[in-house]
Amino acid sequence: MRQRLVLKFLFRLTAFCVLLFVLDRLIGYGFKTAYFNQQVGQFSQTTYAIDSARADVMVFGSSRAVRHYSTTIISKELGLTCYNSGRDGQMIPYSAAVEEVSLNRHKPKLIILDINPWELANNPSKYEKLTILLPYCDEHKELVPYISEVSEFERYKLMSKVYPYNSSIFILATNALFPKSAKKDSAGYLPLEGVMTPAYLAEYTTRMQARYQRIKVNKEVPEEKGIAYFKKFLDNTAKYNIKTVVVISPTILKDPFELDNQSLEKKLVVDITKKYPNVTFLDYSSDARFNSQPQKFSDEFHLNRYGSEEFSTGFARYLKANRFVE
Amino acid sequence: MLFNSVAFALFYILVTTLYFVCPYRFRWVILLAASCYFYMAFVPIYILILGFTIVIDYIAGIYIEKEQDPRKRKLLLVVSLISNIGILAFFKYFNFINLNIDYIFHEFNWHNPIPYLTILLPIGLSFHTFQAMSYTIEVYRGNHKAEKHFGIYSLYVMFYPQLVAGPIERPQNILYQMHTKYPFNYQLMTSGLKMMLWGFFKKLVIADRLSIFVNSVYNNPDLHNGTTIVIASLFFAVQIYCDFSGYTDIAIGCAKTMGFDLMKNFNRPYFATNIQDFWRRWHISLSTWFRDYLYIPLGGSKVSTGRRYLNLFIIFAVSGIWHGANYTYIIWGALHGLYSVVYVIIKPYLRKESENEFINTITRMGNTVITIGFVTFAWIFFRANSVGDAFTVIRNLKSFGARPFMGDGVSNFAHSLLAIAILFAVEYKMEFIPQRFNWFTSRNIVVRWGSIALTVFLLLILGVFNGGQFIYFQF
Repeated sequence: MRQRLVLKFLFRLTAFCVLLFVLDRLIGYGFKTAYFNQQVGQFSQTTYAIDSARADVMVFGSSRAVRHYSTTIISKELGLTCYNSGRDGQMIPYSAAVEEVSLNRHKPKLIILDINPWELANNPSKYEKLTILLPYCDEHKELVPYISEVSEFERYKLMSKVYPYNSSIFILATNALFPKSAKKDSAGYLPLEGVMTPAYLAEYTTRMQARYQRIKVNKEVPEEKGIAYFKKFLDNTAKYNIKTVVVISPTILKDPFELDNQSLEKKLVVDITKKYPNVTFLDYSSDARFNSQPQKFSDEFHLNRYGSEEFSTGFARYLKANRFVE
Repeated sequence: MLFNSVAFALFYILVTTLYFVCPYRFRWVILLAASCYFYMAFVPIYILILGFTIVIDYIAGIYIEKEQDPRKRKLLLVVSLISNIGILAFFKYFNFINLNIDYIFHEFNWHNPIPYLTILLPIGLSFHTFQAMSYTIEVYRGNHKAEKHFGIYSLYVMFYPQLVAGPIERPQNILYQMHTKYPFNYQLMTSGLKMMLWGFFKKLVIADRLSIFVNSVYNNPDLHNGTTIVIASLFFAVQIYCDFSGYTDIAIGCAKTMGFDLMKNFNRPYFATNIQDFWRRWHISLSTWFRDYLYIPLGGSKVSTGRRYLNLFIIFAVSGIWHGANYTYIIWGALHGLYSVVYVIIKPYLRKESENEFINTITRMGNTVITIGFVTFAWIFFRANSVGDAFTVIRNLKSFGARPFMGDGVSNFAHSLLAIAILFAVEYKMEFIPQRFNWFTSRNIVVRWGSIALTVFLLLILGVFNGGQFIYFQF
């Protein structure tokens, strides 16, 4: 009797697992179709950056890259095609991953990496967010080591065909139901429209100064792995001898890294870039045209359309004047 | 070892299989070995601390039972309690007490010579210490016989599903089960697995999702306005419930698959209509522990009114200290003590049930909302990284109405709201219409399997799989 119950349980468990397996394939296929058919939004941008982009100038980085580098202006000023592969919420490991896949396919004439010193500081979320690369791991096996940073078991979770689309349902659904709701990017560039108020800037400055009083006692400890990814990014550019510009784009506060207790990380960015003959470092964090200019910012971290266009124009003209690309 | 890890999935399958394959007389060995391994997956050396208290309490239990002289019985109990509380105090409160000594010395410009401990707190220390203490107290009170089998007693303290975060069991409920021969039971196995699945859903889909927003706000309280803080605090109220009750569901479900019946620890606390009701529904095993072993020995409610209020306040303050060596927890406990005392005072003046059912429903809803408000306010202290941060959060509440921060984007926020909506629907069904929509146990296999499969896929689609450990593990 007991044996029969065990057999019944095992039989039903097996049948249920088979059902889950079949459903996983079916639902996974549905998700894959929906995901790779996105025409707008950051999923489609990432897909394009990973699978298709072949521009002369490639921009990499976080949301500050996406929001600060107008591809139209850079293209126009340099007379070259440009694509912005930055992604909101991502940091240097993501940039290194997308760069590696892109360079396996295509060698651009110029690479621009927008970096912030905090990307070299301790921040586990920079790895957790690499899960957005999961949908691409089937086609690009070189991405698997990156997603293994999330956890050692991540590669095994890929046995599920639904799991790679984890947490994407809201965006997929809104893009499907309201196709006009997602802003259309301009070769990856997505400017922000808002304007920061002087009152908010004053409040933010006070808050940052108060915060600094709290955090200044903490010893700065740059993260070795973050540094390694930064070096890996630059090593790849050196391997193919691609001219590269590492940029700290404009910030609302003048050189805010001390207030953020990240001067050591900033010094590391400067020191590391010096070791690469193909790499130039440009720092706009103390640029008076942007510091304390709330009308050029959408929030405390990002330029708005007006600010980013001014920055992109000046930046592209500098590249042209200094013959970064022929 | 975390329940929400692949390692645990493999561990659980192996242990449960071995448990049912082995002859009955060896099953306790399997469970004890598995429990040791489970505990040692955190900090292996700490098993010695657990071993020390197990030996002390085991011997104390036997001698308390044997001893006829009441004074000697009491002495044995005191020795057992001191060794348990001593270990708890040393590991959990040493640095906290030392920090306070430091402050006092600093005021007088003296140097505090006592060094700080630089060791990790043994995981789940407060839980297994309280479970061990309940054993010796019950033996002392004559409510339970001393356990003669050392292995079984060790398993009582170390049973892996509830070792690190409860439920804090009483010997009357669990020790006899360790001697019981449980054959494989199809019903228990399937209902245990379903309970585990719902526990994982609460943890991965709800708690860990909400934690993304909550952490980003509470780790930078000075950067956020009142609206954001209200949202984050409400999110935290749901997060901690799902984190802890999710753990409990996994623990109870896991034990159930092997035939064990652990006590209920949560009963939809956010449907409580007053603070007393809340504590009858929240962390029941701890509330009843304090009731049985602290409130009643202090005189309970059979004392003067003033003393009764004091007793109430004391148990909540101690509950705060139990949670952690930090003033944030003490204030949290004290707030609940205050709420409870005020509630007992005003209770006679509160509106009685009306004959109009509609008015009753509205009153109940209003009471529930007020209770959630007070409980959530107290959670601010529980979640804040320091008392200073908690007051920053409270100060910033004045800007309520400003545009809220969306965290990592609308997507995460929307997933959070969806998770809360699913939780509310399920809890509402269980609270008010328990006989309907029982899809997990439906006789129709399509509905039953379909609902389980749907839960699995919602886990895969909405779950946060790198959310880290359970909040209550730190206690």
